[in-house]
Amino acid sequence: MRRNRLLHASSFRLGLLYAGLLTASVLVLFGVTYWFATDYAARDETDEIGVEFASIQDEVRSSGEARLPTIIDNHVRLRKDVRAVYLLQDPSGHKIAGNIEAMTPFLGPKILDRIFDGEKRQVRAYGYNLSNGDYLLVGQDTATLRQMKALIFRSFGIGFIVTVLLAILGSVIVSSTVLKRVETVGRTARAIIGGDFSQRVPVRGTDDEFDELAASMNAMLDRIEDLMRSMRQVSNDIAHDLRTPLTRLRQRLEHARRRTHTVEELQEALGHSIAQVDSILETFGALLRIAQIEADTRSAREVSVDVSKLLSGIVDDFAPAAEDHGQQLVAEIESRLSAKADPELLTQMVVNLVENAIRYSPVGARIAVQARASAGYLELAVSDTGPGIPMQERENVLRPFYRLEASRTTEGSGLGLSLVAAIAKRHQAKLSLNDNDPGLRVVVLFPVAA
Amino acid sequence: MRILVVEDDAETASYLVAGLEEEAFTVRRAANGRDGLLIAMTEAFDLLIVDRMLPQLDGLTLVKTLRTASIQTAVIFLTTMTGIDDRVTGLNAGGDDYLVKPFAFSELVARVRALSRRPRGTAVETRLAVADLELDLLKRVVKRNGNEIQLQPREFRLLEYLMRHAGQVITRTMLLDNVWNYHFDPRTNVVESHLSRLRTKIDKGFSPELIHTVRGAGYVLRAPE
Repeated sequence: MRRNRLLHASSFRLGLLYAGLLTASVLVLFGVTYWFATDYAARDETDEIGVEFASIQDEVRSSGEARLPTIIDNHVRLRKDVRAVYLLQDPSGHKIAGNIEAMTPFLGPKILDRIFDGEKRQVRAYGYNLSNGDYLLVGQDTATLRQMKALIFRSFGIGFIVTVLLAILGSVIVSSTVLKRVETVGRTARAIIGGDFSQRVPVRGTDDEFDELAASMNAMLDRIEDLMRSMRQVSNDIAHDLRTPLTRLRQRLEHARRRTHTVEELQEALGHSIAQVDSILETFGALLRIAQIEADTRSAREVSVDVSKLLSGIVDDFAPAAEDHGQQLVAEIESRLSAKADPELLTQMVVNLVENAIRYSPVGARIAVQARASAGYLELAVSDTGPGIPMQERENVLRPFYRLEASRTTEGSGLGLSLVAAIAKRHQAKLSLNDNDPGLRVVVLFPVAA
Repeated sequence: MRILVVEDDAETASYLVAGLEEEAFTVRRAANGRDGLLIAMTEAFDLLIVDRMLPQLDGLTLVKTLRTASIQTAVIFLTTMTGIDDRVTGLNAGGDDYLVKPFAFSELVARVRALSRRPRGTAVETRLAVADLELDLLKRVVKRNGNEIQLQPREFRLLEYLMRHAGQVITRTMLLDNVWNYHFDPRTNVVESHLSRLRTKIDKGFSPELIHTVRGAGYVLRAPE
């Protein structure tokens, strides 16, 4: 199993590829070396033959042409160890002297096959025409060349085998270390699949690609764990927050079955029950809407919106409602502000904030919808002079269903600010809850493309 | 008045059919999109109520096909979807109104009546009048019994809508949809506070009262019989 994995590992295949390339380069090196070395040896041998011929000529010059056969016989004897060959024959092809039999003459270099002591050898020979018309062949065994070739073959053979072995060994070592590190990632993943979300990929501190990968994976896992935690929180909240009104509904219905005596009473009880169901359905609707806003990326419905006009319109719409609550709703809006936004969502966001302010502020409160341009941002704010939100609760109130203790008794789904947060996020706007001294000031910073 | 209900869910369909028949409408039902299209193309109706999600042929395609075939019968879409684009795609496909399930039956009836009496293709009116109340759309002037009444822009639009549908029950949601262009439900009494102001301006000191509250349903602007 393990061996099989090793063979299938991509690192091992890479190692093999590397070994193959190394082998190929060794072969090329061998070819080049072989060619240059043999060429050199061949020329060296030819040069030696030339030197030998020159020395024969020297001797002829000093002792006369008639002595040539004797000189040749001497040379045969003297240079027997290097297996030198000589042949002197007259123009009619008769051998005069030498240690090989007469042959068809040739001029210049030639390789001859000769049998020496029953052993077939190659002889490098050179044919010369002498001035008296005789033919002289001087040659010698190609021993140097042969030895050179043998040496090259042997050294490269050994080198080749060692290279291949080392390369294979190297790829096994590299791939098994890589496999080991990949395996730790796999082990972590399997542990997480098994349900242990606290598992993380160990980081070695070597600061290499594997550490980088491990760090990225861990960051991803942190994010996922975070999301799962908040999702679990939300579903717990949903279960809890829907259980309460459903329980109340059930009580009401049961009470109606036992206690109502007239059709009117029953009608009224049913009317209340329907209203309760509607509020539960509304909560569901709000949840779905938040989910949808969060799931969608920037939609094609984003257009250039006249923010000043949109906000003043909302203030006009809600001023009477605020007045009915004994509050004052005012607009502090710079003119000609515009932003890329989904007008419907933007409206809903501001309406939610204004409604929160109206609902949670006491009689006599002053609520302001403010908007101004500031350094790359469009700053939109809804402020009130109500009770505000304690510092430590400001993060929490953005969570679905989270409600301040003081507001538990007022009606509302607890989803208003979550919806605002979702809409802000979708517009890449920054939402923050600040002190209005006294009261709350909700600020949304919309980035404005320059 | 004949209504075709195209709805695949049997329970919802019978709830719709029974309720509409109780309101004295003649109702026919189709259980899937293909049958719905076939019936709508071969018989005459005053109104179609079409579910968005239907087997065989979805509601959107059904209405698009009808419009392509130049059948201009008014359509109300029903949907369980709360997507922000659903309303827009529905209206773009040729729907006239749009209701998200679940809805109060009175809401559906109000919308059915509003659509059924809508004059189709008539010239745009520039003057509306109910009893001694007059509204001039060009001059943006409102008069009651000859006295000019100053209205805020939103109050003017609200009154215009009520007068266009004089005698019909208008729900709070219809007002939000058509007068405020809010396609979500504000939790505060936006509609109520504007209506009470409008009422003060229109009805206070005049007789008879024209704007009435219909308990559990909505509002109606109506001249006495």
